[in-house]
Amino acid sequence: MAKDETVWNPGWDAFHANPTAEPREPEVVLEPLFWGLFSLGGFLTAFLLPVTIFLLSFAVPLGFWPADRLAYDAFHASFQSLLVRAFYFVLIVGALFHGAHRFKFMLLEAGLHKHDGALAFVLYGLAILGSLGALYLVLKGWLL
Amino acid sequence: MAEKIVAFRVKRYRPESGKAPFYQEYRIPVRDDTVVLDGLNYIKDHVDPTLTFRWSCRMGICGSCGMDVNGAPRLTCGTFVKDVDRGGVTVDPLTGFDVIKDLVVDFEPFLRHFLHVKPWIVRETNKPLSEGEYLQTPEEMEAYHQQSLCINCMLCYAACPVFQGNAKFVGPAALALALRYSRDTRDEGLDERLGRLSTRDGIWACTFVGECSVVCPKAVDPAGAIQSLKVLASIRHMRRLLLPKSARR
Amino acid sequence: MVEVPKLPWRRPGGWWLRNRRYMLFQLREVGGVLSAVYGVLLLVLLSQYQAGPDAYASFLAWMRSPPVLVPTAILFAFVLVHALSWFVLIGKTQAVMSAGRAPPPRTVIGLMVGLFAVVSIAVVYLVFGGP
Repeated sequence: MAKDETVWNPGWDAFHANPTAEPREPEVVLEPLFWGLFSLGGFLTAFLLPVTIFLLSFAVPLGFWPADRLAYDAFHASFQSLLVRAFYFVLIVGALFHGAHRFKFMLLEAGLHKHDGALAFVLYGLAILGSLGALYLVLKGWLL
Repeated sequence: MAEKIVAFRVKRYRPESGKAPFYQEYRIPVRDDTVVLDGLNYIKDHVDPTLTFRWSCRMGICGSCGMDVNGAPRLTCGTFVKDVDRGGVTVDPLTGFDVIKDLVVDFEPFLRHFLHVKPWIVRETNKPLSEGEYLQTPEEMEAYHQQSLCINCMLCYAACPVFQGNAKFVGPAALALALRYSRDTRDEGLDERLGRLSTRDGIWACTFVGECSVVCPKAVDPAGAIQSLKVLASIRHMRRLLLPKSARR
Repeated sequence: MVEVPKLPWRRPGGWWLRNRRYMLFQLREVGGVLSAVYGVLLLVLLSQYQAGPDAYASFLAWMRSPPVLVPTAILFAFVLVHALSWFVLIGKTQAVMSAGRAPPPRTVIGLMVGLFAVVSIAVVYLVFGGP
């Protein structure tokens, strides 16, 4: 911002727009991908998670569901279906990436601005590991 | 119209005094149609001429009189005292900005972010005058109209917890204007703007709190605009990664 | 630039307590993180299932034991807040994304809640075998 003698307020630098100035910050590379997974995960957890939590955790103790329908034999039978395996896989992956993204921003806003790269590495890394684990667990006994 | 006396607690800050900021109370007459700005002007004209604040049009179009009223960013020219009188009215300078004096804040950070998005029509070449005007249908104008209503009052910056914690965040109004120009059919700068804004302190710092759109006096909806930019930036990013040649426009 | 002495701004801790909408934002964020926590629980459930009938049964029993059910109920409340806030957010973005051609936010939210009910019922039948 050079001192401009022709402006009405000499002594104050004028804010000249510089159309050829380079952008100050480098573009992000992976953030749009993780935001996309976060958004997808948001949809999946919003629509699929509440009923899943209710059935797996509360329905039997509250007497809404017979215990044997969720016992090993019944679960094993339902797990033969591709739909059921896909259901658990997308729900786990969606929840992990959604939570990792939100937790990263919670920590950034709490003051850890400088550690953006490290936080991303750890949190998205954990989500990736969890997703690989989920992939293995739904394919085992079927394709593996 | 009946007059009543209302207490105004106004934040004072006198840099030359070396003292910390403090609240000063003034008891002033107000009527049903008195706005907070009227109250401040009454104080300055009749009670304490040293009170310093910005204002201009007093009708909600210049964007100068933004302040925190009872802790919420408001245009003081559009805030009726009777609506905010809770045993008194508290007036603070706008949240999120350094204070120069009393209720006057330093908005240079906002101007820097504003210029960063190139808030003007960007084209490879301008149409020569001999070819006449740029023509635009009403539908094409509707596409950017909402974001063009911004009066640069900075209430959205005061409302945004991300900006409050990180002054490098480009911020709601600047990003809404980036969308306004990018959606204008006369503009060819979408790609360049997305390149400047798809950064850590650009659109990706936004966590969609949404308070900016709540406080905006002109219903610009900067929160929605930023989410649109995120989608546009993601699409551009994928195209550049997967089809690098076609992405060069 | 002529240097003007300024009182620097610092964001206060507990900024989210200022305002109901800030508070809801924080609850929504926590809901998102707790969704991932249950995702991990599902991961463990699948691993115990793959380990055999006894492992699966004992893990399921642990999930349903009272000391686990109480925090799960709190987690469930947060997940519901997260889900509802997600529908509201989608409703809010539709107007700008479609340059004003979308239905009003309330309609979109209503549609999403309706869709949520339909999808939940579908899950009960297709994934858990129906009542």
